[in-house]
Amino acid sequence: MSTNAREIGRKDGSFEREPARRVFASELRECRYDFKEGTDEKSPTFVLLPTGERCNRVFIVGTLTEKQRQGDQNIFYRGRVVDPTGTFFIMAGSYQPEAMQQLAKIEAPAFVAVIGKPGLYRKDEASTPMVSVRVESINVVDKDTRDLWVLDTAARTLDRIDIFKTSTEPDVIKAKEVYPSIDPAVFRRAAYDALAQIKM
Amino acid sequence: MDFSETADRISRKFQKSGQTIDPKKIEGKLRRLIEEFGVQPSEAERSVTNDLAKEFNIPQMGSGGGGGKSGGATEPKKIADMSPEEWVTLEGKVVALSTPASPAIAQSGIIADDSGGIRFVAWAKSNAPAMTVDSWYHIESAVVDEFKGVASLKIHSGTTVKECVTDGALVPSTVPVVNLHPGVGSVRAKVIQEWDTTHERMLQSGILGDETGTIKFVIWKEAGKEKLVVGSVYNIFYAMVDEYNGKLSLNLNTATIMQDDGDILVSGGNVAVRGALVHIAPGSGIIKRCPVEGCNRALSRQNYCPVHEIQPKFIYDLRIKGWLDDGEKTHNILLQRDVVESLTGITLDAAKEIAENNPLGMDEVFLQMREKVLGRYVTCHGREIDNRLLVNTCERLTFESGEHAALLNRAGGAS
Repeated sequence: MSTNAREIGRKDGSFEREPARRVFASELRECRYDFKEGTDEKSPTFVLLPTGERCNRVFIVGTLTEKQRQGDQNIFYRGRVVDPTGTFFIMAGSYQPEAMQQLAKIEAPAFVAVIGKPGLYRKDEASTPMVSVRVESINVVDKDTRDLWVLDTAARTLDRIDIFKTSTEPDVIKAKEVYPSIDPAVFRRAAYDALAQIKM
Repeated sequence: MDFSETADRISRKFQKSGQTIDPKKIEGKLRRLIEEFGVQPSEAERSVTNDLAKEFNIPQMGSGGGGGKSGGATEPKKIADMSPEEWVTLEGKVVALSTPASPAIAQSGIIADDSGGIRFVAWAKSNAPAMTVDSWYHIESAVVDEFKGVASLKIHSGTTVKECVTDGALVPSTVPVVNLHPGVGSVRAKVIQEWDTTHERMLQSGILGDETGTIKFVIWKEAGKEKLVVGSVYNIFYAMVDEYNGKLSLNLNTATIMQDDGDILVSGGNVAVRGALVHIAPGSGIIKRCPVEGCNRALSRQNYCPVHEIQPKFIYDLRIKGWLDDGEKTHNILLQRDVVESLTGITLDAAKEIAENNPLGMDEVFLQMREKVLGRYVTCHGREIDNRLLVNTCERLTFESGEHAALLNRAGGAS
């Protein structure tokens, strides 16, 4: 079995980090479908965006409008980050002490960049899942960075919508199956509105 | 563990000799050797092959049969067509000899014909005549085997070696760097970078590249070996291509090297990545380096160098290690001092000041730098080597109203 352990170590050498997707709040909150690739305990989990892209990590920039400390023994922070299209729910717990301390330090309101993992959370079996982002890193940024993010995210969203129309990628087909009532045109509209909010 | 691939390979080998063997049967044999007896997989493959060859009376298959010269093994074979576990006869030119790694080996080196080159080992017990570089030999009944994915020709006591006269000049053909594979390879490439040597026996190491990619190279100290000149192009014939941790490198000690007047536009090198800095890794900020000449390693907090131990007279340096993410791919990046200074606005002197006067010390520099760059959009220009982008310049992205207008048009256009 020692050979096995060594092989895993070797794979780590060519480890590929999951990219951080750019997605507006109005799209991320529509996610209802998540899945795991591989059967390993440490296999990455993804949420499937309605525009047909798997997403293990997100990069968001917006305004931190609110943060709250919660819990007695297991302290964690919740926050709301607002972009031109809606609200992201973020959280950082004691399992991410670094991220939690970064978040604790920031006074709302502030422009923040958040790198984190999106997940679906259900109050109980029957309720609609809520999408929340577990923070890996958070940092105060300037308005320029926020504007650049809106451009970047609009471009990525439009790219996904273009691919969605014609692609036969399994993720796109799956998205059409699990989100039958969502027309990606609404995300084009959202991208336009987000861009229009930036002063020329 | 899955043995079907190996079993298929063995089964195919026997199919060539007209024997059909159920892969399930082979798999069973392999499983028994590997799982019950802890035999190394490559050894198990060889032993099962031999075993079956004996069973079906196919002599050229195994390596223990000796003397078996039937089945076309006397026809000279091109080196490029050889595959492992084959008994072969060839005509080739010894293009390099290297120092044998063990007293059991009489000679080792590289032999080549017009199709390519292969490493060879002549066992001391083989009593083969000593071969000399640049001479041609007719070698009968040698065995090709494979170790760590590298094919090598074994000259043993059943092999006959005769010098022969061939007047055809041997002009090796070079391959693009990206097409190199473990074994022996010839390239035309430019020296892009020279590294500090990490071992006293090492003469030189660095990076070679051509239009298709880059590869690490090393030259070990040996009589007659000279350093390559950075920026020059060389024709390198019959270098040894080794693989370690899935990465290839060239050992030039066996190679014939000729300087070339031309120039090469090296690719795989210069890339520009635009994205967000999504992670600043530990070990970024201000660091201490080993002052021993040619070492320059990063020291631990206790000023310990893995080679030169405690170094109280360390040298301060700045660097940032992290991940640059464009939304599709994440690039491992490394910024050196001048790039860090211009990106963060914190100079080495300022960082020293912070490190020495702040209660958090070096951590404070890390935190201040992270605060300035994490989550920011930048464009990095640099060279991508071993999946890491070595950044030459890194600029903050600025808002382009033209881009904004174009996107508004695109989003507002007919859907």
